[in-house]
Amino acid sequence: MNEDNIKILIKGNRIISLKELFSEEIEARKEMANLSFEEKIKILVDLQKLAYTWGGKKDVIIWRS
Amino acid sequence: MKRALEVVNELKQKGLILDYAIGGAIGALRWVEPFFTRDLDVFIILAKQSKNNELVVLTPIYDYLAEHDYKEWIGQWIMIDGVPVEFIPAIGLSKEAVEQAISIDFQGINSKVMTPEYLIALFLSAGRDKDITKIRLLLEQASVDHKRLNGILKKYNLVEKFDRLTNIKR
Repeated sequence: MNEDNIKILIKGNRIISLKELFSEEIEARKEMANLSFEEKIKILVDLQKLAYTWGGKKDVIIWRS
Repeated sequence: MKRALEVVNELKQKGLILDYAIGGAIGALRWVEPFFTRDLDVFIILAKQSKNNELVVLTPIYDYLAEHDYKEWIGQWIMIDGVPVEFIPAIGLSKEAVEQAISIDFQGINSKVMTPEYLIALFLSAGRDKDITKIRLLLEQASVDHKRLNGILKKYNLVEKFDRLTNIKR
């Protein structure tokens, strides 16, 4: 079976193909790139918290934001 | 991070550094989607060069920071208000990257960040796997001036390395 033909039911009862799903992900990541620098630093601090707690990386320094 | 940038601006105002720019992962973060990183890389052009050009002396900077109670070191990072900062002397390519960096505002603090083209060239110079990943992100998500990038790559003999390591069409 061609993976491109696999359909997925997503939020809002939309049916899309895997190919479309990946393509939308690329677009979403590009949108994230347009967030403000301040917003990105806030997300970075959240990622550091996540790495420390969930990831068990106890050497990670969580920045004071 | 706001206080860290204020402190770096103070270094410039006090004449300890001529100029600086944010590079490394945080520099890249300005242009691409958020990703995890540990430290803030600040590339600095020093006000005074030592007599021995091969020895870069950062002591005056550390002394200033210590006078302002920033004395804690964790590994190679000096902690400035909860942010691990690494000061990297800007020489050659990185010096040009600092000179060509653009202004950025962070919570009302004016700072400078390297442009995607110079970040790509610097990541390429380092050439580690994590650097190549950042190059890919920049090429995918940032507005890269390819003419400018090619000029920088040629000037610093990085064309062949770019083609070999990234496998990406310029």
